[in-house]
Amino acid sequence: MARILITVPPLTGHLNPALAVADELERRGHVVAWALHRRQLGDKLPPRARVYPLDGEADANDDDLGAVSARVRGLESVRLFFEDYTIPLAARLFAPLDAIARSFQPDVMVVDHQMPAGALVARKLGLPWATLVTTSASILKMSPAFDDWVAAQYHSLQCRCLPETPPVERPDFSPHKVIVFSIEALLGDAHARIAAPYAFVGPTRGEGRRRVEFPWDWLREDRRRLLITLGTVSRDRDTRFFEVMCAALAGLPQLQAVMVAPPSLAAQAPDNVLVRDYVPQTELLARVDGVICHAGHNTVCEALLQGLPLVVAPIRDDQPVIAHQVIAAGAGLFMRHGKVTPAAARATIEKLLATPSLAEQARRIGAALRAAPGAAGAAAHIAALTAAPARKAASWN
Amino acid sequence: MSRYDDTLELVIAKIRSTINEDWIALYDIDAETRFNDDLEIESIEFVKIAEAIQAHYGAQLDIVGWLSGRSIQELIGLSVGELAAYVAEATAGAA
Repeated sequence: MARILITVPPLTGHLNPALAVADELERRGHVVAWALHRRQLGDKLPPRARVYPLDGEADANDDDLGAVSARVRGLESVRLFFEDYTIPLAARLFAPLDAIARSFQPDVMVVDHQMPAGALVARKLGLPWATLVTTSASILKMSPAFDDWVAAQYHSLQCRCLPETPPVERPDFSPHKVIVFSIEALLGDAHARIAAPYAFVGPTRGEGRRRVEFPWDWLREDRRRLLITLGTVSRDRDTRFFEVMCAALAGLPQLQAVMVAPPSLAAQAPDNVLVRDYVPQTELLARVDGVICHAGHNTVCEALLQGLPLVVAPIRDDQPVIAHQVIAAGAGLFMRHGKVTPAAARATIEKLLATPSLAEQARRIGAALRAAPGAAGAAAHIAALTAAPARKAASWN
Repeated sequence: MSRYDDTLELVIAKIRSTINEDWIALYDIDAETRFNDDLEIESIEFVKIAEAIQAHYGAQLDIVGWLSGRSIQELIGLSVGELAAYVAEATAGAA
């Protein structure tokens, strides 16, 4: 059986799919070790997980995305995430990860696409490795200016960490296997893809969630119901969007909505809006008719798995691209996060629930997502790398 | 009004008609207004606005080509006035 080293950045959305894949790998008898930030992610791992911490002493940089990131939007958030976070993090973690790999001596590495230090270590050591891609936006070509900028970022990182090795355009993508937690039916063809050996395994399911209390008897069977969420990163950004949703739903008393928002919103919520700090999202999605969200990749996949149509109000990062995928697939409607008015929100909500084709297309995508192999499929691709002959043998000296 | 002012007025009109949502009819758009931060317009919608402007002026404009030579910082900060200045300059010969 093989020794597999998995590394992810200190971001929960990147850990969850990797946890599901690791679970499948261990069930197949492989030995899994993690290189990650113990402070942010340690409590989310199984108790007996073998962990090589990437966070150093108490006074060291804690590698949090930080307060500045919480305020930016659109392309600026992407620039900030790359230039100010991912690339400096990779430069800082390259040497520690190299040492961890030499200590654990894996047969295969599994590297999140936003953890390029791991990709460079695998390349340096000549190990077979797989990339995990947690959002399908990352595999698309966007525009010449954007793509050139990404290439320049990776070029400077490679010159710094692997000065002896000829740089490649996308060192974050493994030449052996790039595992994408989405499906081609959702990806669409609006953008060309970066050339790589992709495996589209669809989303992993339900893992990494803690139990959350919820007043289930608040939901009424004689009402149509919505879930409103902006995800964990943007939930506390500002309250305007939630206030607009409250105003819109006050005029739609025939509906009920559960809104994941700061508790302070409860005071101004109408009777048909329940404000909750956290919700058991998977269980709740099974009980609603539609979702209003920020087009985060995880939330979109979870909603579509249940065949639910969406209103997408993207804010940052990959969200505009994922929102466009949902709309192009015919399963959703657009809402402009910072500009939507109560009147426009109300009209969009009414259209969401009154347009049968949106739910039909959501069910079509949902069936394709459920048919995808998920974590087991990802584990099979990784296991195949451990058996591959004629890889350049790693030398541990 | 100057050619630039006329062009700026047309660019703003095309932004309003392409976005076509209730808020933008009332939103104060001027040369300083930025597509990303102020209008929340992403690249896909920007291309539609560019197409609407090009449909008005004809083939001498290549807005997407003009953008491709810019840095990511310039794309992030792109303002309505910068787009209008390019359009006014590129169409100057045809006035």
